Amino acid sequence: MTIVVVMEQVPDVVEELAIAPSGTDLDRDAVSYVLNEYDDHALEEALLLAEASGDEVVAVGIDTTGELDQTLYTALAKGARRAIKLTGDFEGTWLSTRAAARLLVPVIQELGPRLVLTGVQAPDDLDGQLAPTLAALLGWPHASVVIGSELVDGVVQVRKELWGGITMTLELELPAVLGVQAARQAPRYVPISRVRQVMREASIETREVEAPDGLVPAVTTLRVPEQAGRAEILTGSPAEIADRIIELLRARGLL
Amino acid sequence: MLTTPERIAFVLLALASLLLTAHGVSRIVRAIARGQGRPNWRLFFHRVIPVSLDILLQRPIFRTRPLVSLLHAGVFFAFVFYGLVNILDLLEGFTGFSTLHRSGVAALYNLIADLLSVAALAGMLGLLIRRFGLRPFRFNQRVLLLPSVRFGISRDSAIVGGFILLHVGSRWIGQAVRVAESGQPDWSQPTASLVATLFHGWSEAALTTASHVTWWLALGLILAFLPYFPYSKHIHLFMAPLNLILREARPLGQLEPPPSSDGTIGAERLEQLRWYQLLDAYACIMCNRCQDVCPAHGTGRALSPAALEINKRYYLNRNLATFAGGATSPPLLEIATSKEAVWSCTTCAACVRICPVGNRPMLDLIDIRRALVNRGDPLDPNLQSALESLARYGNSFGKPARQRARWAKELPFSIKDARKEPVEYLWFVGDFASFDPRMQENTKTVAQLFQAAGLDFGILYEDERNAGNDVRRVGEEGLFEMLVEQNLAALKKAQFRAIVTTDPHTYNALKNEYPAYGFQVPVYHYTEVLAELLERGILRVQQPLRAAVTYHDPCYLGRYNRITAAPRRIIRALGLELREMPRHGENTYCCGAGGGQIWMDSGGQERPSEQRIREAVALGDDLRYFVVSCPKDMAMYSDAVKTTGYEGRLTVIDVARLVAVAIGIDGVEREAAPVESEAR
Repeated sequence: MTIVVVMEQVPDVVEELAIAPSGTDLDRDAVSYVLNEYDDHALEEALLLAEASGDEVVAVGIDTTGELDQTLYTALAKGARRAIKLTGDFEGTWLSTRAAARLLVPVIQELGPRLVLTGVQAPDDLDGQLAPTLAALLGWPHASVVIGSELVDGVVQVRKELWGGITMTLELELPAVLGVQAARQAPRYVPISRVRQVMREASIETREVEAPDGLVPAVTTLRVPEQAGRAEILTGSPAEIADRIIELLRARGLL
Repeated sequence: MLTTPERIAFVLLALASLLLTAHGVSRIVRAIARGQGRPNWRLFFHRVIPVSLDILLQRPIFRTRPLVSLLHAGVFFAFVFYGLVNILDLLEGFTGFSTLHRSGVAALYNLIADLLSVAALAGMLGLLIRRFGLRPFRFNQRVLLLPSVRFGISRDSAIVGGFILLHVGSRWIGQAVRVAESGQPDWSQPTASLVATLFHGWSEAALTTASHVTWWLALGLILAFLPYFPYSKHIHLFMAPLNLILREARPLGQLEPPPSSDGTIGAERLEQLRWYQLLDAYACIMCNRCQDVCPAHGTGRALSPAALEINKRYYLNRNLATFAGGATSPPLLEIATSKEAVWSCTTCAACVRICPVGNRPMLDLIDIRRALVNRGDPLDPNLQSALESLARYGNSFGKPARQRARWAKELPFSIKDARKEPVEYLWFVGDFASFDPRMQENTKTVAQLFQAAGLDFGILYEDERNAGNDVRRVGEEGLFEMLVEQNLAALKKAQFRAIVTTDPHTYNALKNEYPAYGFQVPVYHYTEVLAELLERGILRVQQPLRAAVTYHDPCYLGRYNRITAAPRRIIRALGLELREMPRHGENTYCCGAGGGQIWMDSGGQERPSEQRIREAVALGDDLRYFVVSCPKDMAMYSDAVKTTGYEGRLTVIDVARLVAVAIGIDGVEREAAPVESEAR
């Protein structure tokens, strides 16, 4: 059986990000992309599930960056059996989460998996909407903020983080969609030689798709946050610091 | 002379013994031949004479432990000469030929045999007393030892020692008996003649019996021992010279690509090691010298290079028939060493350098790492993120490549971009010197010195990548190759005469590893360049420094590449008093950072760097500076001085900083800790 992992590339924030002259987009020539870190955890969790159950992992992604191949080859090198890339005329646009979900649903339906895993959130999906939207469109159960899962007797048992350190274990009927916060163990290292071997020997399947109308947001301005103020470190004896804190609180009318 | 039944018995026993021995030897040869690759026998003709000379002079043995080596020399020279003695004694037994009471060459032979017998007996007794009385051979608790090894080492040593004592002792006493039979002392056999006085008053029949008994004990014993010989540590007599002669002709700093067999890259099992790594097991004499110098074992970690070789041998001996016959062996991590041990090696190569029989246990550890990395075995999380960062950004700091030369912006001059204009020296700065904030001051100082000397130099800016020395030693061969490709592409853009490096690890990679990828350029370490600039008067010492210092040789500079003189020439040229630590030059002690350790979590035990600082502190209260010439040393020892509580008493300083102070480069004097100069 099949487990689908949905993967997305996002700008690498280690590199300095620059805004394009248009003021509505990143300078895409200067940006480099990395796999969304939660998607990396989703892949790891999928591989761990598949190693236990014998399922086949299929990595699926929408190529919004022109560089998705690297990510998909790495997924294959780590143990995914197939990789599918959705391409289309996305350049210079920002796909909304709903648009992405609509593009993904037909492929997922075609693959007929018993589980779909994706990262709980992404820099362009901070609300974590992708997993629930996919589940809604597919009509399947869903859990987010997943920190561990297990396939048992035709259901999936899912550990999910709530608040204040509380976790909850759910049982979902299959097929289901999971938004993964963290895999059971850190994403594995894949040796470069294996990635290179996969690049020589394996191939990525490509599907041409069209972006759905009306779901691509129009950006009016994009700005680097301005520095609003600086933190002040209080020094001196505890008594002096306490006096200073009281003074500050009084000055703001809080005492 | 022997009786006829005795002669027949001897010949029959000899045949049986030789057959059994040949059987054992052939099994061992077949076992070793299961290793990957084949020896280059052409080396035999090139090396047989120099190696024999080395062995005859006992050079590899005298590298350390002078007293023990002397005892060994006694046994060794006796062994060599006993080849002749045994043949002549055999002749005597069968034909009655005797050198007793002869003059000329025969007398000289008698004298040498007589004295060497005593030397061997004294040497062997000394060695046995040391092994069983002083019990110096201990492994720390965490070292993996096969159950058969624990008891086996003592048993094996007792049998071999006992054999030598009995064999040589019987021959010696036998000669005394013959002297006594002849009725007068033989002056060419002084010690035997002395012993002969003990037999005064023995009847002729008793002496004849004693003569036969000692003959059998001396020569018959060989027949009894011979079949055991291939399985004993005594086989080092043949395997050690063979190991030394057939060593691959490659620099210590150059690794072979991983062995590859049955789809495994690296080595998970004995038969996936190279042939010479299996030979190592049989060459090993279990002297534990490698363990004594190992920084991992010295800090209580699970690694003992000696235990690795000994385990290999005991496993092979216990399973020789099946292994030689082609059976799959258990994983090396079950029979030879542990995963913790594999990951605690600093690749300092101290074990390789010290080994008197030419073993390279370090290579086994690297090949096991290669297999682990390739199999996807979980890595130390810090190591994993370092590797991922190296793959993505070309440095282990997780910083964008564009920031590599950021330190250069803070200089009052600009450094040439070697990709855009030709330079004489291409300065390959290295990761730590470029990115570590603690090291950037040193890096700027080196740049200022080069500039002050009018050196025509440039850098590769963001195109430089980690040279890959430690990536290769961590076992990530694919990443190493990728870094080599990226660096070679960058180097291709530049025009230069030679490379100068800051980091000894970089130096080693460019000098020893890159030639295998077609890159042949002179490579210098910055200490070599600075020494020359000082000696040629291009950099002038304005105020000689007056302080007592010690210098730490980086493994990859001092041991791997034997660059030990240049930094010392600098230190002397500056007027400093150099005090050597006991372990210096090629015998230097590792700081604990090499082989990827700098990226791993060492787990809170005492660090080699802390032991090293204590070694330096013991050189005297007035020792001011701990001088280093490696960015990683700067990091390791700056920490170690703090954790050992010697901060303030001993200052860790890069040799370039001292040069800058002495020649009076602006800005450096203020920052460097005050040095008493002659002017003050």
